[in-house]
Amino acid sequence: MEFTWPISPSGSAYRPLVQATDLTRRWGKGTASHLGVDNVELSIGQGELAAIVGPSGSGKSTLGSLIAGLDQPTAGSLVVAGTRIDQLSNDRLARWRGSNVGIVLQNFHLLPTLTAAENIELALKLSESRVSRRERRNRSGEALASVGLSDKAKRLPTQLSGGEQQRVAVARAMVTMPRLIVADEPTGSLDQESGHIVFDLLAGAVANGTTVLLITHDHELAGQADRVIRMLDGRIGDPSAGDIPGQQSSDVLGHRDEPNQSADELVSPGRHR
Amino acid sequence: MSQVFGEIRRAPARIIVSVFALALAIGAIGVFAIPTVAASSLRDAAHRDQLAQVVMSTTDTGDVDIPALLTPIENVELAEIQVLTHVAVGNGDTPELSPPIQVVGVEIGQQQIDIVHADKGRLPERADEVLVSDGVADIGATIAAVGHGDTTTELTVVGVGGTSAWSGEDVLFTTLDTAAGMAGLEGANRVVVVVTHETNQADLSATAEATADLFSDEGIALTLLPEIVPNGEHPIETDIEEVSTLIGLLGIVAGIVAIVLLGSTTNTLITERTREAAVMRMLGARRRKLRRRLRRLAVGIAVAAAVIGVPLGILISNVIARMVLQEFVGITPGLAVSLPVVVGSVAFAVVGARLVASRAARRVTNVPLASALRDRDGSPFGRRFGERLAAGIPIGSLLNRTSIRNVVHRRSRSLAIVGQVTIAVASLMIVTSFATTINDFNVSELEAWNWQSKTTVAGEGLDIDAELADTDPRSEAGIDVIGELGEWEIEVYGLPADTLMINRTLDQGVWIEQPNDAVVSRGFAERLDISVGDDIEVLLASGPAIYQVTGLHPDPLRSVFVGVETLSTELGASGRRNVIYSLDNETSVELAGLTAVVHYDAVSEDETARRAIMLIFGAIGFVVVAVTGLAIASGLAVNVYERRHEFAALEAIGGRRRDIYRVVSAELAPLAMLGIGLGLAFGYIGSWAIVDSFEAGDAVEINLAFATGAIPAVVAVVVLGSLAIAGLMVRRVTSQPVAEMLRTAA
Ligand SMILES: Nc1ncnc2c1ncn2[C@@H]1O[C@H](COP(=O)(O)OP(=O)(O)OP(=O)(O)O)[C@@H](O)[C@H]1O
Ligand SMILES: [Mg+2]
Repeated sequence: MEFTWPISPSGSAYRPLVQATDLTRRWGKGTASHLGVDNVELSIGQGELAAIVGPSGSGKSTLGSLIAGLDQPTAGSLVVAGTRIDQLSNDRLARWRGSNVGIVLQNFHLLPTLTAAENIELALKLSESRVSRRERRNRSGEALASVGLSDKAKRLPTQLSGGEQQRVAVARAMVTMPRLIVADEPTGSLDQESGHIVFDLLAGAVANGTTVLLITHDHELAGQADRVIRMLDGRIGDPSAGDIPGQQSSDVLGHRDEPNQSADELVSPGRHR
Repeated sequence: MSQVFGEIRRAPARIIVSVFALALAIGAIGVFAIPTVAASSLRDAAHRDQLAQVVMSTTDTGDVDIPALLTPIENVELAEIQVLTHVAVGNGDTPELSPPIQVVGVEIGQQQIDIVHADKGRLPERADEVLVSDGVADIGATIAAVGHGDTTTELTVVGVGGTSAWSGEDVLFTTLDTAAGMAGLEGANRVVVVVTHETNQADLSATAEATADLFSDEGIALTLLPEIVPNGEHPIETDIEEVSTLIGLLGIVAGIVAIVLLGSTTNTLITERTREAAVMRMLGARRRKLRRRLRRLAVGIAVAAAVIGVPLGILISNVIARMVLQEFVGITPGLAVSLPVVVGSVAFAVVGARLVASRAARRVTNVPLASALRDRDGSPFGRRFGERLAAGIPIGSLLNRTSIRNVVHRRSRSLAIVGQVTIAVASLMIVTSFATTINDFNVSELEAWNWQSKTTVAGEGLDIDAELADTDPRSEAGIDVIGELGEWEIEVYGLPADTLMINRTLDQGVWIEQPNDAVVSRGFAERLDISVGDDIEVLLASGPAIYQVTGLHPDPLRSVFVGVETLSTELGASGRRNVIYSLDNETSVELAGLTAVVHYDAVSEDETARRAIMLIFGAIGFVVVAVTGLAIASGLAVNVYERRHEFAALEAIGGRRRDIYRVVSAELAPLAMLGIGLGLAFGYIGSWAIVDSFEAGDAVEINLAFATGAIPAVVAVVVLGSLAIAGLMVRRVTSQPVAEMLRTAA
């Protein structure tokens, strides 16, 4: 049985899936406080593969967490997949995550006591789709097959390699057919080949209409994204300045690192592939 | 120590809970010290008041110079006379004939034995002055005391105090002459003796015997068996020994909790550091050094716990000892510390922590470096066969599966939780069963009796003429005295052969018919190996008496029933009695002198004694439950803390607080159930063992009344308590942003 993504590729008309206004995340109070994300304006279109790049500590993960609903902003508004998530209670946010986002992280974060297949089933169960146990098992099997791990369904996380664990994590993120996948350095602890496999899986999801936000240090991967968002000191490069401070010293810019283009991307997102 | 502080900064709540739980457990070991604390307080009091080692109750000593008579006896250092009588008290012109109160006359100011002292006010100097025990009357009050021959003496209260020989009782202390006047004595009726050196039981008995011989030469008879207090003890020490031993037993429970807790806390503390240790090994740290570091950390935590726990233990033992002494003997002890218990509990904590830490440290530093660096968890799930087996069983919902597998994964912690719940349930069941058993015992004690009231005349002798009772068909005159049989203190009842006052249906044999027949309590007889047909020698104040056992009675206490006339003759007062039993609430027999009436209901209720025991056991039960509660909380806190990343991952994929709570409580539920089951079993066995030890120690028959009625409440307390603890822990981990938890996972 072939596994198909139910979300059809979006048309050419740009519709934003993520809309951030004045988004700010601050820790601490008064003079001791510091900013992780500073007044960010950002819009990501449906079905887009957007990469966030920037030096370490520039706020990439913080922004990703806010968009994925894993953290709450201290100011600003954030609409993702049609929901104002900056105002949700913890439980509502959890429910929203379950049915709208898939999350892939550098450290995999599989539940250690569940097998690969069970980890995927659990995500389905929590995503609120009222599916039967049998259906869940089928879909979990299909998702595992789609990441090429059918034969490892009954393995526990400790019995899988890092790359395999990450493929399970991707399968878990995709099985709920979320509208958005946030992947924070999904290839960070993998070798190049495993990294490519994981990236291709994410790109495949985009092809099926899912929006993917990829946070990475990998020039090559970022270069394959539809759009690259650069961060520095908690801010997204100001398009009107024409240049991002410290850009030259950045080691993450890759071949698409031309100021005009990146500025352009910030104002007019669109597909480049 | 600085390592410990670093630790506290790292995970404050968790470490503090562990330290406190451990401290409380160490403190609870202080319960062990209660018998020592109580005994030493009593002995201090005995020493301070120069209590007598031999006390003889006698008929009127007349004008015999008792000290001069007795001091020639080998081993007698001092002898003094006292008067003990009873009066009715009232105020002013209308003395209300309330139950009699004791009057003790002593040579105030010249005493060297049983020294009476004033805590407030001063000692009486004149014949019309009185010192009262605490709570009887205020200084300045006037007491109208109605004594022998209905003479009224007006007494002014000049002080409050007494001597610990009478601790816990209501007493009026007067001069010797005043008391003798109220008692209608020429001389005295009580002789107290302090010996020179030999204070063991046998020598004191010999001294008492020599004394009794000299008395009999002077025409003075004993009215009670001599009272002997050996080895510098306090006369009431043996009375509370049982209670304090029992309390000490609960110290064992506390000790077990402490061991479990110490083991699991130390183990977790070190296992948690598998990765940290691996990183240090990677950087070149030597295993031996690492192990030392880990051991030091564990010992540091144990020392911190001991620093808090030891004063806590001293406090707990003293508070409970004080409750025991105040409730049972009415004295307020000073602060006492049992050095062996203090040293023992500190050594236990430190040595125990070191032992467990050594083992854990060896294990942690022996994990292959590669896997230790790779896995966040010291022993990741799936290493052991049992874990893989559990992972292969796809039963239950996914969340339940994680719960079950975690129970399997963290075996020792799961076992610790089961153990702690077991202990909590068992202690609660023992405490409540103890209450119901005492209750039932109080009822069964009187079950065989038919009287509604018994009336006595103040005084130690047989002061009632037997024929008086002939006027009332619903009353009977009898005798109730203390005797000795086979080293046991017994109750000797003299009753008419056709008595209506006690149920004469026996377990075996027949009721008394012949003058020398005796019926003995069945349980007591069995314990002494006495059967129907045997001869028994009962020691009475007048000397030994031989009876033949004709039957065994269901009475649960240590009682011997004999013919009333035989007994009165034996006691040297033929035709005299000391109690009137009545089938009514009030006998219509006219008794001269002061009477005290005891009603059946009052005896069967015995409220104060039960309240005192329940208060004390309640306090101990509370300590044990608090310790186990904290222990469970600390175990659970560690558990939830260790898995915070797992829970964060669950939240990241859409799990709500409710789901996490479900995982935690599903883990706790089977453990709690198992603990409850085991706790009920051990509670039953423990209650049974305690009752059995009481039966053996007292030669009485107590039927265990296991408090089945309390089971729902106990189960509810445990279940709701653990759910609340789980809720609290889950709330703590889920209150932080998920992103933060995921971030710190690396
Ligand atoms: N929970 C937190 N509390 C305080 N400061 C934080 C917290 N999380 C992140 N920061 C700070 O916010 C800034 C941005 O952190 P963030 O993790 O978003 O960076 P990043 O761009 O993802 O870096 P890297 O590429 O190294 O992962 C950093 O200065 C970091 O120290
Ligand atoms: Mg990051």
